[in-house]
Amino acid sequence: MLNVRDLKAGYIRGAPVLKGLDLDLERGDCIALMGRNGMGKTTFVKALMGVLPQISGSIRFLDQELVDLAPYKISNAGIAYVPQGREIFPDFTVEQNLEMGRIGKPKQRNESFDFIYEYFPILAERQKQLGGTMSGGQQQQLAIARALVGRPDLLLLDEPSEGIQPSIVQELAAILRRIVEQEKMTVIVVEQNLNLVRRLAHHVRFIENGIIKSGVAVDEVNKNPAIISRYLSV
Amino acid sequence: MEMTLLIGLDAASYILTLLLVCIGLVIIFGMMNVINLAHGEFFLLGAYTVVLLQQYALPFAVILLAAFAFVALIGLIIEEIVIRRIYHRFLDTILATWGISLALKQLVIVLFGPGSQQAVAPFAEPLEMFGITYSSYRLFVMGMAIMITAATFLILFRTRWGLTARGVIANRQMASCLGVNTRRVDRVTFAFGSGLAGLAGAIMAPLMSVDPQMGVGFLVPAFLSVLVGGTASPLGALWGAGIIGGSNSVVAAIWTPVIAQIAVFSLAIVVIRLMPNGVTGRRRR
Repeated sequence: MLNVRDLKAGYIRGAPVLKGLDLDLERGDCIALMGRNGMGKTTFVKALMGVLPQISGSIRFLDQELVDLAPYKISNAGIAYVPQGREIFPDFTVEQNLEMGRIGKPKQRNESFDFIYEYFPILAERQKQLGGTMSGGQQQQLAIARALVGRPDLLLLDEPSEGIQPSIVQELAAILRRIVEQEKMTVIVVEQNLNLVRRLAHHVRFIENGIIKSGVAVDEVNKNPAIISRYLSV
Repeated sequence: MEMTLLIGLDAASYILTLLLVCIGLVIIFGMMNVINLAHGEFFLLGAYTVVLLQQYALPFAVILLAAFAFVALIGLIIEEIVIRRIYHRFLDTILATWGISLALKQLVIVLFGPGSQQAVAPFAEPLEMFGITYSSYRLFVMGMAIMITAATFLILFRTRWGLTARGVIANRQMASCLGVNTRRVDRVTFAFGSGLAGLAGAIMAPLMSVDPQMGVGFLVPAFLSVLVGGTASPLGALWGAGIIGGSNSVVAAIWTPVIAQIAVFSLAIVVIRLMPNGVTGRRRR
């Protein structure tokens, strides 16, 4: 479903952060992308989303080449992005934030939000509340919900546990698990929080110096902590 | 008593006229952050549309719509050729739009000559009420200002298109990642703001001498109004036009227009010093 070949991308010409990265995903895969800071995790999801100024190589997604496409076209091709720091619209209500998730998508424009509210009851309660006045965990739910409104095939999550207290992280992981199973979604989650990774992902792939290394099943990470220290500890 | 009523009406007329000119600027300067020095020329083009089309004896409503559409089209072209390359380049914006302003002004001089033209008001009978007489066309202008402002706010805050535009302005990259074609939104938003300037010019044309310099007189107080009102919310323009327009016309009626100018600028300096983000502005986080 997703085939990335020799992807080089970055922010400045001549200084790529991703240095010829390859990755293949099948429909329904749910992988966690882990690695130390500065290895290119966020840069990779941004490259998929088409927001980087410098990009070369090939990204094939559902028989479509994505390199050089504008972000709105990539979004309409079926990729949704939940960025680091959530980036909800603080001055918009919950409902308006969700509306932004489908406003550029002719197919979803008149669908109801009911299925979203089923996954996230708190958002149903707070439809008229301004996004900026909610707690970090609620904002994260809103950002995920906003991505789901467009009915994506591939969901990119960048550090969904960042700045959220541990008990809420568990709840978030459970909701995400349910969504992934019920919507048959393919997921790439960039994450440092092992707790969330264990609950959500099937596989863990490690990224080092802008290249994705071979991965392991998530059970392997549980059994063998040495892998984690090899790729994650400083 | 009649004197106060007259001053009150004059003040309301000036405030609403200012609001009419401001409302396009609110979108282009306030929301899109483009310092458009050619805004006065958009106003001018609207007025000249009236002069031109009145030769063909078209109904006034049609002429107003044509002025909006024509200047919106000009705005669309200018956005595509110039403005889209200079978003977020503040100083370059000033230079480029000043250039556009000069070019448009010279174009008008080439086509219509440097002299002043006359636009005819569709109705001009003075209206008598409460013991005073007042120009009925001025009352019409006031009514139009209120209607256009209300319509603009309805579009911005009650329609999908308005939500999209506000979303793109709040977070362009996120909006595009959610599937919004931000280029199209920029284009339409700029054209809409330009069209409003043209419409303002067309409505004001019968009250003014239509000449190539007519845009300048409104440009300064309009920018000042938007600054004083604050760009955080489009509603700021209401405050700005009220403060700038109100103080100017009241002081001008009691003393002289010169003292009014001094008073208005002093007031603007004080307001901007005390509230750098304008009356409606919030402190940046």
